Amino acid sequence: MILANGKQYESALQDRLLGELEERINATLAGPGLEPETVIAAIDALGRRVEAGDFDARIAALQIDGAEQYRDLAIRLLRRDHLEFKLRTELGADFRPDYHTAPPAGLPRLRVLARPLGVLLHIAAGNADGLPAFSVAEGLVTGNINILKLPQADNGLSLEILQALLEIEPRLSDYLYVFDTPSSDLAAIQKMAALSDGIVVWGGEAAVAAVRRLAHPGTRLIEWGHRLSFAYLAGPRPEAELRALAEHIVTTKQLLCSSCQVIYLDTEDMGAVRAFCERFWPILEGAALAHRPSTIGAVAELSLRARTDRLEALLDGGAARPWSSPLCSLLPREDSALELSPMFGSVPVKPLPRRRIIPVLRQAKPYLQTAGLGCPAEEREELLKLLVRAGLTRITYPGGMSETIPGEAHDGAYPLRRYLRMVDVALPEVSEAGRKLP
Amino acid sequence: MEVETRSSMVYSIGKDGNRFCEVISVKYRRKLFSRRDAYDLKGSDALFWKAARENCAYVYARCPEYRTILDDAGFSPADLQSMEDLARLPFLPTALFKRRRLFTLPRWRLPLVVSSSGTSGRASQIGFTVGDLWAGLKMVLRICRLRKLLSWRPCHYVVLGYQPRHKNRTGVSRTAFGVTLFTPALSRTYALRWKNGDYVLDLEGVQNAIVKHAGSRFPLRFMGFPAYAWFLMKRMEEQGVRVRLPRGSKLMLGGGWKQFYAEQVDKGEFYALAKKVLGLEENQIIEFFGAVEHPIFYNDCTRHHFHVPIYSRILIRDPVSFEPVPNGTPGLVNLISPMDVGTPLLSVMTDDLGILHDGCSCGCGLESPWLELLGRVGLQDIKTCAAGASELLNKVEVTL
Repeated sequence: MILANGKQYESALQDRLLGELEERINATLAGPGLEPETVIAAIDALGRRVEAGDFDARIAALQIDGAEQYRDLAIRLLRRDHLEFKLRTELGADFRPDYHTAPPAGLPRLRVLARPLGVLLHIAAGNADGLPAFSVAEGLVTGNINILKLPQADNGLSLEILQALLEIEPRLSDYLYVFDTPSSDLAAIQKMAALSDGIVVWGGEAAVAAVRRLAHPGTRLIEWGHRLSFAYLAGPRPEAELRALAEHIVTTKQLLCSSCQVIYLDTEDMGAVRAFCERFWPILEGAALAHRPSTIGAVAELSLRARTDRLEALLDGGAARPWSSPLCSLLPREDSALELSPMFGSVPVKPLPRRRIIPVLRQAKPYLQTAGLGCPAEEREELLKLLVRAGLTRITYPGGMSETIPGEAHDGAYPLRRYLRMVDVALPEVSEAGRKLP
Repeated sequence: MEVETRSSMVYSIGKDGNRFCEVISVKYRRKLFSRRDAYDLKGSDALFWKAARENCAYVYARCPEYRTILDDAGFSPADLQSMEDLARLPFLPTALFKRRRLFTLPRWRLPLVVSSSGTSGRASQIGFTVGDLWAGLKMVLRICRLRKLLSWRPCHYVVLGYQPRHKNRTGVSRTAFGVTLFTPALSRTYALRWKNGDYVLDLEGVQNAIVKHAGSRFPLRFMGFPAYAWFLMKRMEEQGVRVRLPRGSKLMLGGGWKQFYAEQVDKGEFYALAKKVLGLEENQIIEFFGAVEHPIFYNDCTRHHFHVPIYSRILIRDPVSFEPVPNGTPGLVNLISPMDVGTPLLSVMTDDLGILHDGCSCGCGLESPWLELLGRVGLQDIKTCAAGASELLNKVEVTL
């Protein structure tokens, strides 16, 4: 299915539509442009439809754990006041600035315009439901024309969201093209890339590397790659904090960029690591039991995998592992490397004394994202600085590592700024000054 | 009976002080696989657990890995004293056979080593001794006779699977070829033909063969993947090709739906299409079920249910506690059979979910319980943005 100019077309018409795309884009660019207000109003109206229950059946069909929470979060994030807050945070009070600079006396002023990049190609991996629609919404709110290549594993949710948006605001249709081109159709994707000023790519290293290969070196690449996060605990931690961490681990299944992959302890002593496991184990197991997967297939997969791992370890001469059950496990490790956990409730616990934070974490610098820091209040500032210097982009608390807090940057950057370009316009005074400038 | 038991088992003390019995021959297996009624489960129970104990002791003595696993669980072959004890016997997940090569004899002494087709990742390798193959042959002959699959009347064969070649050790290709030996074969046409170093799907060639053989005096038999049969019949339907196959023709299906899960069709629709394009009645369509890790010959009854034959027992287990659950409850499918001693296959846990139904609920006349397969276990539809996670989960990432 292809969506172009507000209409749906068969996938077979792809090449014809792509052939006409340049002309259509040029016509749109020649027009008055898309005001942030138009997009904000449309998204706000969409949020109200979600609130009214228009999408409840669709959300239920996704069969995701905690769907109710996601629905409430979506309602909050789609509201006008939140959107305006996001734009103000990322772009300043004017949303689309147009101002004069005020340089020191004697130097010429400039008129500065923040304007849309032009055309954005979104290549979204299917790593979150509705993510492609979210990416496009960011492109729209900054006034860009958006071409979306749907992920192959897309479940149709994104297309439905975007169609609902077009129903609410038909003026958006010139700014939105959706193609279900398979990733193997390189020629078509290359054509889309050639029409674009920026390419927004979501996905793992393979996807990002592939986009780098196909894009023109001058095209702006906005890459949202996959990341790793961890919890850092110093000193004796209160039970409530550990409970929240356990809850975070089992509910996110460690599948998110911001999920805890490793629990670091501020110690060099393996005895302390094992003592922590002993204390944390019943808490983690309790959380895992309370949030066991809802489908029998998922539960069975986890327990079979645990049993197979256990037997293989046994054949390798290993003794039975403590702190291990089909639903979760704690893996005490002597090294300190930041690595992906086995996920689904299995967490390595590693010693990382604070003096080694920078050298150890620098080894993982392309992946660093969130640290869930749990420590005595008087040490927080010191540890926080160390983590920031190591390259982390989000410091939060152990339980709230994956919580969305309005106003957050994304992997160390404000996305909306990257979807704009700053245009400098010389004022008449420069023309008058002529060649006298140094 | 007791005398025989003693004569075939040697009780010894293991290095760790555990008592285990070393079996020299596997005579209870021979007796079990020689029984007349292939579906008399109750009548064969006593023989079954004895054959299981014998198998367990034989493999325990010869496969160090199996011994390690049983010792770790505190289970000795001598603990198998009744049918109920089978539930306590440690099972091996089929995934373990993909990660480890488990044999009771050096590989070169095993006359046959079969690989699973390996839909994804590594394939398991299962060894068969000469005795295992004899037991298997007896079982296949018995069940085929029951389903009237053996005949002296020659047939043409269409194999909807791989053309055999020396290097293709997969169980599916061997089974498919084996089935063409049920009657004298006049011809064999393969859907997956070996051509210039690769297998190519040649549905056109198969279709031509069908049209040609439809006019023959001799029946035509199909053997192969249900998905290929479905594609073939769909193709014939689209092209308006209709044939009436000679009397006695059969469509035999096995090997699962493989990568065509998405195309999985309703069985009723399948039978209707077979009737329409091939002129086959529902009772001319037979489905087989088996796994390399549980090489027992299951075929469907007249009501298309897989009843458990005497060579096998099935426990459905709770996916967390692994405790057996009553009939009618879904769970993990644990397959038990004393057929194979080349590899520890006595009790294997598949990654399939299923339900065991009481035999009487079928209505075909067989009283043995029947297995309904519900599909693979799995963490469906995983979405992840943790670095490296999709690679680890073997998910195909968006690559351009």
